Amino acid sequence: METKVMASFFSSALNEKIKSFIGRYETKRSSILPVLHAVQDENDWISQEAVQALESEHGLSVVDVNEVLSFYTMYRKNPPKPYRLEVCGSISCWLHGADKTIAAAKAHIAEGEKNGNPVPFECHKVECLGVCGYAPVALVNKDRHLNVTPELAIKLISEYSKKELPAAAKKCASDLAARSAHQ
Amino acid sequence: MPVMNSPYNGRQPNEFKILTELEGVPNSRSLEVYKKYGGYAALEKVLKGGMSPDDVINLVKASGLRGRGGAGFPTGMKWGFVPKAPGEKYLITNFDEGEPGTYKDRYIAELNAHMLIEGKLIGAYAIGASKSYIYLRGEFYDEIAWCEKAIKEAYDAGYLGDNVMGTGFKHHMDVYIGAGAYICGEETGLISSLEGKKGQPKLKPPFPAVKGYLNKPTIVNNVETLAAVPWIIRNGPEAYKKFGTEKSAGTKLFNISGPVVRPGCYELPLGYPLKRFIYEDCGGLIGGKKLKAVIPGGASAPVLTADEIENITMDYEAFASAGTMLGSGAVIVIPEDVSMVHVLENLMHFFKDESCGQCTPCREGTGWLLKMSRDIVNGDGVPGDAEKIADVAGKMMGRTICTFSDAAAGPARSIPQKFAHEFVEFYKTKKNAVQAHG
Ligand SMILES: Cc1cc2nc3c(=O)[nH]c(=O)nc-3n(C[C@H](O)[C@H](O)[C@H](O)COP(=O)(O)O)c2cc1C
Ligand code: SF4
Ligand code: FES
Repeated sequence: METKVMASFFSSALNEKIKSFIGRYETKRSSILPVLHAVQDENDWISQEAVQALESEHGLSVVDVNEVLSFYTMYRKNPPKPYRLEVCGSISCWLHGADKTIAAAKAHIAEGEKNGNPVPFECHKVECLGVCGYAPVALVNKDRHLNVTPELAIKLISEYSKKELPAAAKKCASDLAARSAHQ
Repeated sequence: MPVMNSPYNGRQPNEFKILTELEGVPNSRSLEVYKKYGGYAALEKVLKGGMSPDDVINLVKASGLRGRGGAGFPTGMKWGFVPKAPGEKYLITNFDEGEPGTYKDRYIAELNAHMLIEGKLIGAYAIGASKSYIYLRGEFYDEIAWCEKAIKEAYDAGYLGDNVMGTGFKHHMDVYIGAGAYICGEETGLISSLEGKKGQPKLKPPFPAVKGYLNKPTIVNNVETLAAVPWIIRNGPEAYKKFGTEKSAGTKLFNISGPVVRPGCYELPLGYPLKRFIYEDCGGLIGGKKLKAVIPGGASAPVLTADEIENITMDYEAFASAGTMLGSGAVIVIPEDVSMVHVLENLMHFFKDESCGQCTPCREGTGWLLKMSRDIVNGDGVPGDAEKIADVAGKMMGRTICTFSDAAAGPARSIPQKFAHEFVEFYKTKKNAVQAHG
């Protein structure tokens, strides 16, 4: 058990990334946003254990990190589903029926849940994604999709669901399993 | 109608191409193509042609270039505010592009991010900055990659580093990635964010030009503003002023959204007629629908009715005298069959979501505006509500740290005022609650 206490919370590749961000800007504090992006890219979300580890292992203050974590909407504070369909609901996308896209995607996800055939997806409405001419605009994790009609949303959900899960999603699931085994 | 410095009638499509010259050129994002089209010649002219920093500032002043991020502040004048005393100074590009309707800065990066990098290098030389950042919104994954690649190419080619083009000028550049907060587009919020803090705006003065990033003199400029600089240096201020109007010089990227036949990002001279833009360049409304209203400069700009756009031109002055603004050049088209009460509710949802919450009139006001407009949409409105909305909005103006609160108040005042009859329809019946738009 001794080694487990000593082990880093982060993978060695992630530790290297964190260190490089810490040395990259004029102040250490500026590294908080990029560091949190890197943690989220690997773990799929940012747990309070991760925040504690950023302080104990890298000297980033818990208070400063939590200030950033709570202010910015892209950081996930809870474990997510493997795929996030984020549909822009701001004015230009709304004019092109974004509400219908969101409703259809949510209904499709709920239906899978009900039939015992769940899809690895969650759907959220977000604000303007900055590609307003090709509305409705949506992201599936980091992939941008344009003109996302209700039909296309459902097609995207099916297509991604057939793929191998992203590495971060697998890591998130195994971290959670390890945690509940531990409790 | 303002006098156009150069008539657009009978124009050839290529005549207006300052920022969009590489449109349709294969492999447009590469350094090689950029150089073939004159890329980095402006930087060479500045660094090796004996131009002093003040020469650059004066040339940009003479061109009439105004900030394309929304406020339209003269760029050369802003650069001139940076103290001349030695010491660290910073130039930050605002690539946060979060104003609903706006997708122009990303288009520049999609064509070629070197335009921005070269413009930044010239701006940095003018203000004496040896470090600059491109602050990009976190959701712009492709755009981030394009900028990172271009920065790397610029380092490899000797345009960035300790000894730029062997001239002894030192400049380093990096990207910085936001994490989902519209308010980080406001320049002092952006600086807070770059410092690794909440992106909350700060009271001005002091202005960033004097006290910005890490309390050092800092210029924040929009992507489109900086990307225009190399062309201006290469071709001279007079060539730039040939486009546009007397007070709105040059070209501007207009990004149109809503149900038009040919959406996209169009480069046009300032002073171009809005109606002609919508109907000729963009092909009019899908299905030949009638136009009800236009939001001419992004979600923060007060709305114009179809009648009001009849003779209006797209420049700073014409929009200001119509009580609205050019903003980011985001033209949002609203067709006849969409209810303005629903439009108001959608816009108020955005502002409520994105208020950073540190000023009471803004935090509470945006909450009230959303609740009141939502009540009307749900059929719970009573006569007098539209006036109440306009009244609450009036109290949010001119009393907060940044102009976000004023921006939220813009549509909340203009929509109930210009479309009062639509609100009356909603008071009459609850049936609207179940009637989806479009
Ligand atoms: C709420 C708010 C949001 C803004 N968002 C942006 C933005 O996304 N991009 C931008 O360039 N300017 C934005 N601005 C304007 C900036 O504060 C600033 O004026 C601009 O970046 C200056 O650059 P320019 O002089 O080149 O226009 C915003 C302003 C406010 C008040
Ligand atoms: S006006 Fe609104 S967005 Fe601006 S600082 Fe105040 S609370 Fe924040
Ligand atoms: S309004 Fe949807 S991407 Fe801008």
